[in-house]
Amino acid sequence: MSEQAVARPMNGSWIRDKVLLGLTPAEYLKSLVTPANGIIAVILAAGIPCLILRFWKGLGAVTNLSQTYPWGLWVAFDVISGVALAAGGYTVACAVYIFGQKLYRPILRPAILTGFLGYVFVLLGLIVDLGQPWRLPYQFFLTPGTTAVMYEVGWCVFLYLIVLGLEFAPAALEWLGLAKLRRLLEMMSIGIIVLGVTLSTLHQSSLGAFFLMTPGKLHPFWYSPFLPIFFFISSITAGIGMVIVESTLSHRAFHDRLDPKAHVDMDGITLGLAKAGALVLFAYFFIRLQGLAGSGRWDLLLTGWGAWYGVEMLGFILLPSLLFLFAVRSGSVKLARIGGVLTVLGVLLNRFNVSLIAYNWTLPNRYVPAAAEILISLTIVTLGVVVFRWIVNRMPVLAEHPDYRGSH
Amino acid sequence: MNGHEFLSPHATKAVEYGIAVAYLLLFIPFWRAMSSPAKARVTARAFSFADLFHVPDGVHLHRGHAWARPGAAAVAIGIDDFGHGLVGPIDAFELPAVGWRVRQGDVAFGIRAAGQSFALRAPVDGTVTEVNPLALSDPAALHRDPYGAGWLFKVQPNRLSRDIKSLFSGERARKFLAEAAEALQLAFRPEALSLAQDGGALVHGIARELDPEHWDDMVRSSFLTR
Amino acid sequence: MPFDRRQILKLAAAAGATAALPGPGGAEAALTRPSKDARAVLVDTTRCIGCRTCEVACSEANRLPDPESDVDFKSLRTTGPNQFTVVNMASQKSPGGEERYAKTQCMHCVEPACASGCVVRALEKTPNGPVVYHTDRCLGCRYCMVACPFGVPKYEYTKAAPLVRKCTFCAERQAQGKPPACAENCPAEALTFGKRADLLEEAKKRVYGNPGKYVPRIYGEEEAGGTSWLYISDVPLESLHLPQNVSNTSYPEMADRALSAVPFVITLWPPLLMGLWAMNKRKDEVAAAGKAGEGRHE
Repeated sequence: MSEQAVARPMNGSWIRDKVLLGLTPAEYLKSLVTPANGIIAVILAAGIPCLILRFWKGLGAVTNLSQTYPWGLWVAFDVISGVALAAGGYTVACAVYIFGQKLYRPILRPAILTGFLGYVFVLLGLIVDLGQPWRLPYQFFLTPGTTAVMYEVGWCVFLYLIVLGLEFAPAALEWLGLAKLRRLLEMMSIGIIVLGVTLSTLHQSSLGAFFLMTPGKLHPFWYSPFLPIFFFISSITAGIGMVIVESTLSHRAFHDRLDPKAHVDMDGITLGLAKAGALVLFAYFFIRLQGLAGSGRWDLLLTGWGAWYGVEMLGFILLPSLLFLFAVRSGSVKLARIGGVLTVLGVLLNRFNVSLIAYNWTLPNRYVPAAAEILISLTIVTLGVVVFRWIVNRMPVLAEHPDYRGSH
Repeated sequence: MNGHEFLSPHATKAVEYGIAVAYLLLFIPFWRAMSSPAKARVTARAFSFADLFHVPDGVHLHRGHAWARPGAAAVAIGIDDFGHGLVGPIDAFELPAVGWRVRQGDVAFGIRAAGQSFALRAPVDGTVTEVNPLALSDPAALHRDPYGAGWLFKVQPNRLSRDIKSLFSGERARKFLAEAAEALQLAFRPEALSLAQDGGALVHGIARELDPEHWDDMVRSSFLTR
Repeated sequence: MPFDRRQILKLAAAAGATAALPGPGGAEAALTRPSKDARAVLVDTTRCIGCRTCEVACSEANRLPDPESDVDFKSLRTTGPNQFTVVNMASQKSPGGEERYAKTQCMHCVEPACASGCVVRALEKTPNGPVVYHTDRCLGCRYCMVACPFGVPKYEYTKAAPLVRKCTFCAERQAQGKPPACAENCPAEALTFGKRADLLEEAKKRVYGNPGKYVPRIYGEEEAGGTSWLYISDVPLESLHLPQNVSNTSYPEMADRALSAVPFVITLWPPLLMGLWAMNKRKDEVAAAGKAGEGRHE
């Protein structure tokens, strides 16, 4: 699928060895001609002009945003869902470092990379969505709105991006051969991890806090004073689900980058994640039920919205919890993977429900994203995947660097 | 949140407490279902064990851990990697001579290891046409490629298609080996096997690791020649 | 003029005691400390004739394009990036058979959701009442639009450097001691500009002093924790197209409940996590020592 990972001894220039995977420029360019890259090229060829149009002619030219729907696909998907799906970084880091679960060591770096790139592309999505993105730093240096939830989110995401960068840096430093710097970072690692988990708790829950001021606009089944807690807990499930999905895809797409002698117990890891996922999803289901009870609107259960709520609760929270349970009982990695996919879809569905679908539930006119909006979202995700692939093909993410074996 | 509540505040609070209690009650069976010991964990382990056993295409396994691979001229016969792993380093093979007839399921050949003799059953009917010289000159090396260069002898089959029906191949063969590993694990300390796993492959000669006193019985019952 | 300055001053003196009591929104601290002189407008829709002079005056004062001249009131109009106030007809006639109209604009809440939620304080509640917008700060996140329960802020989606647009309560005119353009120009005296406390008193006087004439409700007294634009009418307030799903708690309070947990998480998470880390590290060390011991025995 990807560029050839042909192992060649280090000869010629640093660029040739590190960037071009040991190939000559001509060979490297030739190796880029693959069907997958063809699809990527098509997406980017269509999406980048849309991006240019967005900045040149304004948001109205490419989106279906309106005065009643100020937040659309980009906020719902690229920003709010993106942050939730990047939660694998802190959940796996917490499991490995704080809870000492060494079983998950092999997936720690891919999870942190997914997290890091996830947040970078959340930032990109935000820049695309903001009316005047060049003013982003104003909240830190000019006129901070300290009472705003977004202020807390802004600081947290900013600091967390730095934390994720520091957590991923050892892999990059190994790639570059900078052993001393790498050792320095290793010493700080537990502090960085604790900071990362704390920051994540804060901003994952604050994304839910955004909607605390919308009780009249958000359907009672999704509105709750406990929205921050719901978002925090579901970010843990999102992290678990995403890591299962991402490791499955990575092991298939990048199997030539894996170290065959490393004997990674992927099945054991997947089932371990499934066990954690089952427990968290089960608890999450019940606290969401509390949200339902707190709304007091049992009368709305028999409406279309009630059915939709049932779909999210039963099909995308309870069902994956039970699938994970059966997967662990029967040792079926396949069931665990299906559970992972459903969990990820469930978090996506919840974020979309809160920010778009159940938002303005009483209004007859619904917002539907414009084609250009969808294309731009797709472009952002595609760019993320491309960068992920570039890094995995060069840096010791899926396998240990031979010079630093066993040093984690 | 204001006006239209369906239930009184007292009733709502009662429902909330009720949901919390229901959760606690349901949590107990949920947790137990997931932590269901031996069975669940063993099955989970067995799957990773199955990864250690790779049965190539075209190879058919006999219950006694001999294998048969039909070729252009004759059918090659050997011992599967589970069998090799079980026994460990082999001192010598006792193989039938060219021209001898073997019958599926009958004792047809044997090995000597650590001062003991073990018999194995033939996987198919046929007449021996060739014996692997490597088996006689360097028996300890054969386990490295149990299904390829580790063939022991070849036979000219007389009822191959009928014989093959009682053999395992492909996924069923992997499952058979995984179940064999599971059976071992049920009988012995799981830690011994996980230590083996950390080493990256089944320790060669695991029978001796698991049960130093009765390892020969374990091998013979696996080979179905107790 | 039904009201002259003397009468207002008399009312103010008489209402002195009432003004000293905590206003709606309760004893909790407001986002800014509202001055006792905080201004408001009382909209008495029994007087409004639907002439839309307020719309014209507003557009002149804010240098906006003229509002459309002929309006049949059959469909509901909303404010927009270039129209800060609109007059709509009520869906119900008065008990006397007359049409009723009501003007909508920014409510300039006592504790505005938009200002509390603005990450760069582009929207700011001034002590004297107006919620003002600073064009040089806004980064266009549009959260004010999400947060406002009245759906007031409008966005310039067609511009490359877009701004949020809404009624300014004529803050500049007020700074010069003048009333907002709409209130000053209303020929039917439906809009009374004054101190919020005084206007609440006046509203109560009209509503409860004329039993049966008015609907017994002052819209804006409690809505969103209290707004600067107060409405009284002789038709149900819903028929005036004033949102009915507005909570009586102040909106910033809802967010503040969650934000107040932040310092606790920042303080408690690190020791909790470090404690768990230390516990598990110790457990591993003990296990490793145990295994080494075992190995020696074999």
